[in-house]
Parts: sequence; structure tokens; C-alpha cells
Amino acid sequence: MLIEIDSLSGGYGNGDICKEISCDLERGEILSVLGPNGCGKTTLFRLLLGFLPPTGGDIRINGRSALEMTKKELAKLVAYIPQHHAPVFAYTVLEIIMMGRASHVSAFDHPKPVDREKAFTSMEKLHILHLANQTYTSLSGGQRQMVLIARAICQDANIFVMDEPGANLDYANQQLLVDIIVDLAEQGYGIIMSTHSPEQPFSIAHKVLLLKDGKNAAFGPPETSITSPVLERVYGIEMEVVSIVDRYEKKHTLCIPLHG
Amino acid sequence: MNQEKNERQIHEAEAARLQSGYRIKMLILVTASILTALFSFWVGYYPLSPGQVARAMLAGCGFQVEIIPQAMTIFWSIRLPRVLAAFMIGAALSVSGAVYQGMFRNPLVSPDILGVSAGASMGAAISIFFGFPYWYTQIFAFSCGALTVILCYIISTKSVHNQTLSLVLTGSMIGTLCNAVVTMVKYLSDPNDVLQQLTFWLMGSLNKVRMDGLMMSAVPMLTGLAILFLMRWRINLLALEEEEAQSLGINTRKYRIILITASTLLSASAVCLGGLIGWVGLMIPHLCRSLFGSDYGRLIPACMLLGGLYLLLMDDLARSLLTLELPIGVVTAFMGAPFFVSLILRRKEG
Repeated sequence: MLIEIDSLSGGYGNGDICKEISCDLERGEILSVLGPNGCGKTTLFRLLLGFLPPTGGDIRINGRSALEMTKKELAKLVAYIPQHHAPVFAYTVLEIIMMGRASHVSAFDHPKPVDREKAFTSMEKLHILHLANQTYTSLSGGQRQMVLIARAICQDANIFVMDEPGANLDYANQQLLVDIIVDLAEQGYGIIMSTHSPEQPFSIAHKVLLLKDGKNAAFGPPETSITSPVLERVYGIEMEVVSIVDRYEKKHTLCIPLHG
Repeated sequence: MNQEKNERQIHEAEAARLQSGYRIKMLILVTASILTALFSFWVGYYPLSPGQVARAMLAGCGFQVEIIPQAMTIFWSIRLPRVLAAFMIGAALSVSGAVYQGMFRNPLVSPDILGVSAGASMGAAISIFFGFPYWYTQIFAFSCGALTVILCYIISTKSVHNQTLSLVLTGSMIGTLCNAVVTMVKYLSDPNDVLQQLTFWLMGSLNKVRMDGLMMSAVPMLTGLAILFLMRWRINLLALEEEEAQSLGINTRKYRIILITASTLLSASAVCLGGLIGWVGLMIPHLCRSLFGSDYGRLIPACMLLGGLYLLLMDDLARSLLTLELPIGVVTAFMGAPFFVSLILRRKEG
């Protein structure tokens, strides 16, 4: 098991926001985390990334407890791809990507030519070489997201945590991003991402975790976890899950709210 | 595939070209700094020709050369400490400004805007008032400077307003408070002795710098500069969002404390040695960013060189502009204030 979250609880001092959440992920799998605002998605991610100490439970990565790891050790295993990102200073894309090497470079040292090579290799993988010497702050939202994924690849971690990838991208860029996420999973990365679309997991995710008030509402493959009773319980509105077949005989699943 | 390889080579070459461009600029800065230092030996009430400078240097190193004793004294006990002090103060203020800007993720802060300089001058003024030895003055200046940074940070994080704005406002508020304390100390001091000493020192002046004082300030200054120089690449990570930096494997708390302490040490020692010399810590990092980009790996050495060079030139101006010597703080304020205005206007556009 690549990562195992075992009845994890935690919050900000005045009571737990996440309550005994459990889920797991293998290499090459995508886990979608679904739920309404305030259901504990962000808190779960913060616990997972070590920004917040849990009040109970455990996170095991490759069988080792993540709670006993230093920031550096954790960074070699888990990379975070944030959603909003606007640094104050005008770094070039190459400089931003090289920062992904921080856990491999000692405190008094600089990134070496090897690190630079890695940065270029990760840009090559995502076909963003042409951005290398541009200023990061001048890029579009979609390009920035690509750069941050390249940085995660450069970090040499094999678990990517993505906070609502594509949330502020246009439709075409969202689709492009989805393709890249699927591609990364095929290369063996484990991906944990939050999403607001209950249908998206059907087309890309291997597993889905539904959260309601900080607790597991369902966990498992999308086909068995995302059902109308579960969705109705999580979102509090009547919903129907329907399947359609497109002209190429490919099956799609849609989630339709029934109110009004 | 082949095309991809080609593309990679093109962009790698471009990155390498940028790098060597920076290296050339850095070399130009080094050369300019050395030339300015040599030129600064010559400027002043008693000009020393380059020949005299060379001979004084040789004589000081134990060689037998012919030289008039006045030139010897002027070089070794007046000009040299002054040139060294100007360069080090310029470097210290610029580097600490650049680091504060990164630590607070705010391009508008500097030792003077954060109130660190005012805090340090308050500490130093109190120590001078009580007639404490120079060591105490250093410690007082550092403690009060550190206190202002901590206060500034705490108040601005508790503020409901925009962080950039509240940090600048808190800084100027604390600065005003410290200046009030300094005024009170001045009011209470003996007008024939301590008051004069305090007043001249606070205006920012280097004409009282002698070798012994320089040596004592040099220790904390060089320590601070060395720490920041060695950790320069790491500063980049702390200029990112807090959580992002942590996710990259950085113990942000530990590094933030080390880096802010080192910068405060730098600005406090600069104040002890040369008094209040404003604007350098804001101006130089901005100039360096436009020349060398934002990467602290280049920014820190660039700030050291350009900051030192700039303050040397300002000191030369202070010495030669009028027949009587101007306080260097006055000269840097005349240069810095318009720069700040242009910065604000430029930020509005962008």
C-alpha cells in the first residue's frame, strides 16, 4: 500500500474538523475527495501534508508512519500542488521548478547542474519547455498549474496532493489538466485530489472518498461509492446518478440534481 | 522526439546564457566596487593620490617605502576605516532589506520602514546616555531592533487590514515611538557632551568611525552577512507561501528565526556603526532585482556589492559636495525618497 490513512482526526484547537477518516491508495491510482464546502477536505489535506498535527489516527506511507517523519523526509514522498499561487517576487519558471529540489539540497547549498537537468526533464514531460525562462507571474492560470506540477515531478515524490486542480481554469484547460493527471497516474504516481464535481471521479478516479461533516460518508471505487443515497446524504439535495452511452459506445455516468 | 530534444537544448542554452549574463554583471560590480574604494581614499579634505595610497598600504604591511607620516595616519586611521565602514554598512543594510522583503513577502519593507533602525537607534541612544561601553551599545541596539521586528510582525498578523499595508503602518508607528524615546534621551542628556555625540551619530555620519569601533561592529556584521550568504538559496523558499514552503521540505519556523535574527543583527550593527542611514535597505534590493532577477542566490551577493558600492559613493558625495561635510543620512534620504515615490507609482500601474 502506497499510502494508508487510518482513522485520522484533527482540527484547529477547538474540536476536530476531521473525525476518524480512513482511506488508502496504491501506486498508479487516483483518489478523488468529494464533499460540500466545510466538509473537511482542506483540513484532511493539511493533516496529510504535515501542516497540522493530527489528534488521533495515523498516516502510513510505504508502511512507515508519516507522523514520525521530518519535513524533509515527507517532502521526498509527498508533493503538494497548490491551487492559488502568486509569489510576491518575479521568479522565472526554471527558478520556481528548481525550488522543488529543496529537500534534496542541504541548508547551505545550491541546486546543482543535476537538479537543473531534473527541472528540464520534468518540463519536457509536461511539454512546457518553452516556458523555462519566462517570468512565472506573467503566465496564465493553466500554465502556472503546469509549472507547479512540473515542480512536484522535480521534487521526486511519488504521491501528489492536489487541491481542487483546475478550479480556476477554463473548460479546455481543465480537460487538458485531467489528461495530465491520468497520464501521471499511469506513470505510477499516486494522486490525491479534491474536486467539486461528483461525476469527474467516474471518468478518472480509481477510488473516491466522500466526506460529510468531517466523517467518511463512503470510500471505494466510484461505481459503488457514488450512488444517489450517498450523494443525497452528503450534499443534502435530491440527486440521481444515470449512465449514458455515447456514439462511440463509451459509458459515461452523470450526477443530476433533481430539485426545481 | 528529436524536435523535443532540440527544444530542450534551445531553452537550456537560453538559461545558460542568462546565467553567464548575470556572472558578467556580477564581475562588473566587483570591479566597480574596487575602483570606487580606491577612488574613495582620494576624496576628502586631505586628498590622497593613488600613489600615496599604494605606498601607505605597502608601508603598513612592513615594507620600506618613503611616505609622509600624515598620509600614513590619514590612510590607516581615517580613510581606511571609513571606506570599510561605508562598504560594510551599505552591504549590511541592503542584504537585511532584501531578506526582510522575502521573510515578510513584502517588497515594500526595509530595516527603516519596519522600524528596526529606529528601534536599534533607541537602544544605542539609551546605552550612550548611560555611558555604557561600545559592546553594550551593540547589544542594546540589537535587542531593541529585534523587539521592533517581533512587535511589527505580531501586530501586523493580528491586523484585519491587508498585510502589506499593515506591516508598513505598524513599522512607521513603532519607528515614531522609538524616535520619541530617542528625543527624550537627547532632551535629558548633557548638551556639551552626550547630546552632541548623539545628534551627530543619529544624523548618520561616518566621520567618527575609527578602527577599534569598526572592528567591534565588524564581528556581528560579518557573522550576519556570512549566515545570509551561505543560506541564500533557502531564502527563496521562505518567500513562498508558508505551507507551500513546508511542503517542499523546509522547517519554516527554524529558518525564519535564523534569517530574521541575522538580518536584525546586520541592521542593528549598521546603526551602531553609522547611525541612521535610511533608504539603502529599500533601494538597493529593488535595483538588484531589476538587474539580477529575484533568485536570492544572486540577489544576496549582488546586494552586498551594490549596497557597499552605493554607500561608498554617497559617502564620497557627503564629503565633497560642500566645503563642510554633510551627514551621509541626509544624502541617502535625498536619493532614496524620490526612489520610493517612483516605486509606489510603478506598483500602481502593474
